[in-house]
Amino acid sequence: MRKAKSLHPSASPSERSVANSLEAEAGSAPTRRLFLKRMGLGAVLIGLFGHVLAWVRSLFPNVLYEEPRRIKIGRPEDFAEGGTFLEERRLFVFRERNTFYAISATCTHLGCTVKMIHLPQPKRVQIGGRVREERYEFHCPCHGSKYYGDGTNYAGPAPRPLVWYKLEVAPEDGQLVVNLDEIVGQDFRLTV
Amino acid sequence: MATGRTLWERIFWSWRPESSREAGDAIVRNFLLHWFPAKVLRESLSFRYSLWLGTIAAVLFVLLTGTGVILMFLYVPSVERAYASVKDIEYVVSFGWFVRSLHRIAAHAMVAVVFLHMMRVFLTGAYKNGVAADQNRPLNWIIGILLLLATLLLSFTGYLLPWDQLAYWAITVGTSIATAAPWIGDDIRFVLLGGHEIAQNALLRFYVLHCFVLPTAVLLLFSWHMWRVRKDGGLACADRLAREHRREWTTPIRSKTYSLLGIARGRTVHVEVAAIHEEEQMVPASPVLVRRLFLVALGTIVATSLLALMIRAPLEEPANPSVTPNPAKAPWYFLWLQELVALTTVRIGTYTLNGAFVGGVLIPGLLILWSAIWPYLDRSSTASVGVWFPTERRRQNLVFLLIVAGILVLIVTGTLRGPYWEFYWPWEPWPEIPRRF
Repeated sequence: MRKAKSLHPSASPSERSVANSLEAEAGSAPTRRLFLKRMGLGAVLIGLFGHVLAWVRSLFPNVLYEEPRRIKIGRPEDFAEGGTFLEERRLFVFRERNTFYAISATCTHLGCTVKMIHLPQPKRVQIGGRVREERYEFHCPCHGSKYYGDGTNYAGPAPRPLVWYKLEVAPEDGQLVVNLDEIVGQDFRLTV
Repeated sequence: MATGRTLWERIFWSWRPESSREAGDAIVRNFLLHWFPAKVLRESLSFRYSLWLGTIAAVLFVLLTGTGVILMFLYVPSVERAYASVKDIEYVVSFGWFVRSLHRIAAHAMVAVVFLHMMRVFLTGAYKNGVAADQNRPLNWIIGILLLLATLLLSFTGYLLPWDQLAYWAITVGTSIATAAPWIGDDIRFVLLGGHEIAQNALLRFYVLHCFVLPTAVLLLFSWHMWRVRKDGGLACADRLAREHRREWTTPIRSKTYSLLGIARGRTVHVEVAAIHEEEQMVPASPVLVRRLFLVALGTIVATSLLALMIRAPLEEPANPSVTPNPAKAPWYFLWLQELVALTTVRIGTYTLNGAFVGGVLIPGLLILWSAIWPYLDRSSTASVGVWFPTERRRQNLVFLLIVAGILVLIVTGTLRGPYWEFYWPWEPWPEIPRRF
């Protein structure tokens, strides 16, 4: 950065007086001119800031025309024993006789849809002290993450287990309702 | 006015030069030529020094703009019609497949060439200030990094537009990486997609970014980049010549003005240049520079056109949010990032650091930051300005090349991935995978 320019010795008197008045304006007591100048500049900056704020804010939508987050997925008796994949919702719904639970099919690494892999023969695995007999697992095709049947991640880059969603029964027609905004623990069971 | 002037002269010339001096003047006065200096250093036109990579990137950008405008006339950025319109471009529109293929090849080539240009500038130490006054080459290097990022963002936003499976899942992964950015990650994804899902809002936003915002940014940055090259006294090899000549002559460097070669009156527009450019080292921009420019442009267009004829742009099945293709792979220039996000999930006790953050945000962020500030940390002397592989910069060139090699290794690793992220050699067939659950 250059400091204030020193004037060439040969500068004309008028140039000197301009330079002097500029210096006076920059450092000394406020004059009306300086006050108005700063007010004007401030007003322009505030105005510009307001515009930019309005522009940026307008890009954050207030209304989303997306699927609802709480959805009816069908009558409990229509679900087969074991897992059902709801393609549209990217969701697995499991039925064990009269209990139900729902596991998200969205990989916790980068959001690909995991696939349910049926194991040729059941294997026993230990998950956090509990022993579980696995008949199926979830594998992610994007980056090779693997999850046990209860959604616990055990291989690949996935940082967290698959998410479990809350299931309810709609009082008016008895359909199962999944709430994608309410995450529940792996011990959640809905008994119908 | 003078009679007997051709139509060409009447349109582009107000007067015609009769001496070498007047010829320099003429370049500045000609509308099409005035953005070149009147005379340029012969060495800076050398293919061996610069490889003309920056020019090739610029030609590719022009080619992409041309084909892109044609595609804009034919493409509909709506979820219902995007895929069908691309399919029409591919199979119904006369030569539509060629325009689309050329656009794709030129885009891939531009990513590669811009990166090679960056390598050339690093390896020749061309981001370093030399001997002339008022140079700010480190700033121009940073502008160059911004241009590289803009190029990558252009190819990323263009990737979504066909609305096929390839597009949809690449954007799913890409925007999930954005959420891994600390604090504002979710907001970035939300405003980028205009919602929580990749749907109509996201398509329109990517379209506007791809067709207007990013190309405009590239144009502005490119202008700034070229202006700085001129203000820095030309390519860095000019500083090398200046130093060599200083050794021969004991007199200190005189400054010479570029533009004054063209404008004889006044000293208002003047630029300090590095060297005492002896007349035999300088050549008139027209025709010498113009001729090479045309040659490079021609070569670029021929090469991309041939590739476009041989390699058709793929179009997969329409985007389907419920079926992730197996494997879902990024384009080659993002494969190293995909490998990184898959490899870098770190577990410290019970705490897990998502690879999306480490490999997708932290490592690329540090690489960009490191390259941006490197010119300010590089302590080598001005003797290494504009020289390929100088011994003084051997160690930093080696580190740079090792990083590039690491990226290449990750890209190759990524290409060998098959279904479920397993490795398959190119000659090994992939197993049959059921396509649906």
